[in-house]
Amino acid sequence: MAINVKNVSKSYVSTNKDFTALKNVDLHVNDGEFICFLGPSGCGKTTLLRIISGLEKADEGEVYDGENLVTGPSIDRGFIFQQYSLFPWYTVLENVMFGLNLNNDLSKKENLKLAEEYLESVGLVEFKNSYPHELSGGMKQRVAIIRSLILNAPILIMDEPFSAIDMLNRHNLQDQLIDIWKEGNSTILFVTHDVDEAVYLADKIVIMDKNPGRIKTILEVPLERPRHRESKEFFDFQDEVERNLGVWES
Amino acid sequence: MVYVDLKKTLLPFILPSVLIIIWFILTDALHLIPPYILPSPLNVVSAIWKLIIDGKLLMHTISTIIKVFSGIILASVVAIPLGILLGWSHTLDELTSIVISILRPIPPISWIPFSILWFGIGLSSAVFVIFIGCVFSVLVYTIDGVKRTDKVLIEAAQTLGANKWDILSKIILPSAAPYIVSGLKVGVSIALMCTVSAEMIASSNGLGYMILTASQLFQPGIVVVGMIIIGIIGILFDYLFRRAQNKIFW
Repeated sequence: MAINVKNVSKSYVSTNKDFTALKNVDLHVNDGEFICFLGPSGCGKTTLLRIISGLEKADEGEVYDGENLVTGPSIDRGFIFQQYSLFPWYTVLENVMFGLNLNNDLSKKENLKLAEEYLESVGLVEFKNSYPHELSGGMKQRVAIIRSLILNAPILIMDEPFSAIDMLNRHNLQDQLIDIWKEGNSTILFVTHDVDEAVYLADKIVIMDKNPGRIKTILEVPLERPRHRESKEFFDFQDEVERNLGVWES
Repeated sequence: MVYVDLKKTLLPFILPSVLIIIWFILTDALHLIPPYILPSPLNVVSAIWKLIIDGKLLMHTISTIIKVFSGIILASVVAIPLGILLGWSHTLDELTSIVISILRPIPPISWIPFSILWFGIGLSSAVFVIFIGCVFSVLVYTIDGVKRTDKVLIEAAQTLGANKWDILSKIILPSAAPYIVSGLKVGVSIALMCTVSAEMIASSNGLGYMILTASQLFQPGIVVVGMIIIGIIGILFDYLFRRAQNKIFW
């Protein structure tokens, strides 16, 4: 689904002074695109994604999901949080089936089978009857990711989902995410602070800046898929992204 | 291992045994304290025996337990849904906060005159006082539990397609459950105290009534039996709620 962000502004009032998280942000995302957001902390990347998802309201401007004005959170816009968000009173399997059981007409048995397939794909099927507190941080995040992925939402919003996961598992999850994205036709918005991750995953990289939070530039990633981290093109483009981020200035 | 386990099991019983032995020495053995000041263990045992034989002990105990149960159940039925509502709605919480703050510290026993006026002497009058005694602690704990629900869990549920009812029943209620059980635990101990007081004034059965009549008829043995039974009921309730708390592991 295409997304249109029109002139969105958002400030937070704190005791000392107002903080402008986003100012006059416009963004168009095509259906099926994989977009990564990079920028220093305080640039409003998370706020922008929360507004697009409907979890937060903009002070000004609006967001369209296809033709529809976004007014609140919806199952059509899956959200994967940076912090752990599994329901502690449900087992891994019950967590993964949470959205399925609420929303589809399939039988419990079919949902169960689907959930087990997804758990299998991230290597956690033997933990299906465990509770979240029995899992490691990376395992929890994998469960949270498939809990959203399994719903096949047209838009998937991910807020630094892999930041707590070690590098090896992170690379595996990145590949899995690309596979899933290629198979389906979802649009993915992905916040990261890792340039390598953005270059590896994205069709386009939105670079943001702070004070006030805004979009600085949008770079199209010129690399063919599958991408190779060791290739010269990969390194060169990573340099270009870092230049645009202003990494070398400071 | 067996030795350590045995030691652990026996440890809590050492002090009560010592106290009973000292009590026995001071009264039955050496007659240092006359029975009209403190009845001896043998007095108490013979009082228990008599009360068991004529069935009065069972009758009064059951009567007290029924009142405690009725009061706490009535308080839960009112306080848990109301607490969820007040914890959920900021407006309602503000609206009711002064009334609750004023009513809460009033000793439940001071409601006894009104309970006699409104309900007469008997079961319903005592249950009303017990209800007043524990409704506020259950209410306040429930409100607190609902407010402490992790926001990210509610947001995660929203993006997984949960409606308001799903969020209430599948997220907020389980999240508040440990607090609700704590509120009930506190409530029951208050209820037990209220029951005995209420029975002394507004009832014609129960352990409180038994204690009051015995003291008027100068039967200190029966008074002590009543006190011991109340203590034991307290331990049993505490045990039940601890079991419930252990079931809630999050």
